[in-house]
Amino acid sequence: METDSVEGRPTEDAELVERSRQGDADAYAELVTRYQGMAARTAYVICGSDADAEEAAQEGFVKAFYALDRFRAGAPFRPWLLRIVANEAINRRKSAGRRATVELSVAGDRPSADTAPSPEGAALASERRTLVLDALKRMREEDRLVIAYRYFFDLSEGEMADALSVARGTVKSRLSRALARLRALIAEAPTDE
Amino acid sequence: MSEPMRDEELAATLVDIGERLFYPPATRLATAVRARLREPRPRRVPWRAPALVPAFATLALLLLVVAIASPGLRSAAREFLHLRGIDIFPVPSAPSAPSAPTVAPSPSVVIPGERTTLEDARRRVSFTVRQPTVPELTSPDYVVLDAAGGVERLTLVYGDRAGFAASQLPGVAALFVEFRGAVDATFFGKAAGPGTTLEEVTVNGGRGFWLAGAPHLFFYRDPSGAIQQETLRLAGNTLIWEQGGVTLRIEAAVTKEQALRIAASVR
Repeated sequence: METDSVEGRPTEDAELVERSRQGDADAYAELVTRYQGMAARTAYVICGSDADAEEAAQEGFVKAFYALDRFRAGAPFRPWLLRIVANEAINRRKSAGRRATVELSVAGDRPSADTAPSPEGAALASERRTLVLDALKRMREEDRLVIAYRYFFDLSEGEMADALSVARGTVKSRLSRALARLRALIAEAPTDE
Repeated sequence: MSEPMRDEELAATLVDIGERLFYPPATRLATAVRARLREPRPRRVPWRAPALVPAFATLALLLLVVAIASPGLRSAAREFLHLRGIDIFPVPSAPSAPSAPTVAPSPSVVIPGERTTLEDARRRVSFTVRQPTVPELTSPDYVVLDAAGGVERLTLVYGDRAGFAASQLPGVAALFVEFRGAVDATFFGKAAGPGTTLEEVTVNGGRGFWLAGAPHLFFYRDPSGAIQQETLRLAGNTLIWEQGGVTLRIEAAVTKEQALRIAASVR
């Protein structure tokens, strides 16, 4: 990618990882900067609250730094990091007790003449979002994470496998199981409105 | 809802939700994490600047806490940290939710920032201001500069003119937007929701993307490296590319060929 910013050509992750391993905090700060958005989003999907997500992501980054010796040189950094952040977020959520509310919320109905050409279409899309989001909130964290990796963050199958620590072939079945559970939760949505 | 969604409907709804979630801004993480890395990593070479860095990191964290607690001090703290050339990123003022007002929009409402002239904008922004030079877009009707929150975003607004179909913004034929930032392919796919096509193109020798079919947002990397979300205003076709460290984009009801021709004329 062309860039003439002051830093010049973006440094490769592998080089930053190696420098971080040597104790270079600048290099690690660069990695944090590079992946903080993704880490926070991942944690948010699991925790369902800004504050918890930020803490989990921060903790995940710190743990990852001290775990760099266990990072396999040459492997992609992002899924490895996401794995640590996601674990941190899941543990936090579990220790807080499942009863804590998942507050995931979405932007309201902006005009979506693009995706929904008619008012009826927009209303239907909105109704579906409400229904699906409500079911997502009631899902197990692990299932929500698989769905988020695929549909929210558009991770490749390989990256999902790394981030979930499963074999590539397992990703599809994990995803379809999560979707089946999501459908079940949608079906049992309260209808007494 | 009476009948269950089809697979593709469920998938589209999930993508839609992913695009609309109010994710936390996360721009403070680098600072906070850095402040916590004071203990050297076990059995490795210690810090390059041993004494000063940990102390400074603590100070930075304290300042940040103060800054968060007191909005009045935010910009001062930001200035201070920035002056020292340390990687401290601005404290976000609010999550940037894409909730633009939308009923009968007028340009001044929809494009945030201060209305000004091209000359004034050139003096005020830190990057080289460029503009299309094709005959139909020789001079913008007006310019909007958004310099809030440490971001400099310049929007050249072109009113109705021949050769351009009407857009969603009354009285606006095309927008040319420029800001510091990098187009990030990893996050780019998300902009292409159902009904949007995304195509990678080469623009002026650099990498670009052509989004057709009315996308409504995309992501880019700001100068601090954080991923930011950006709302598209016209919901027309959009060409986005990087040129000289600045992300440029054209939004208009034009074909890809027209957009590429306009892009090639940018000086």
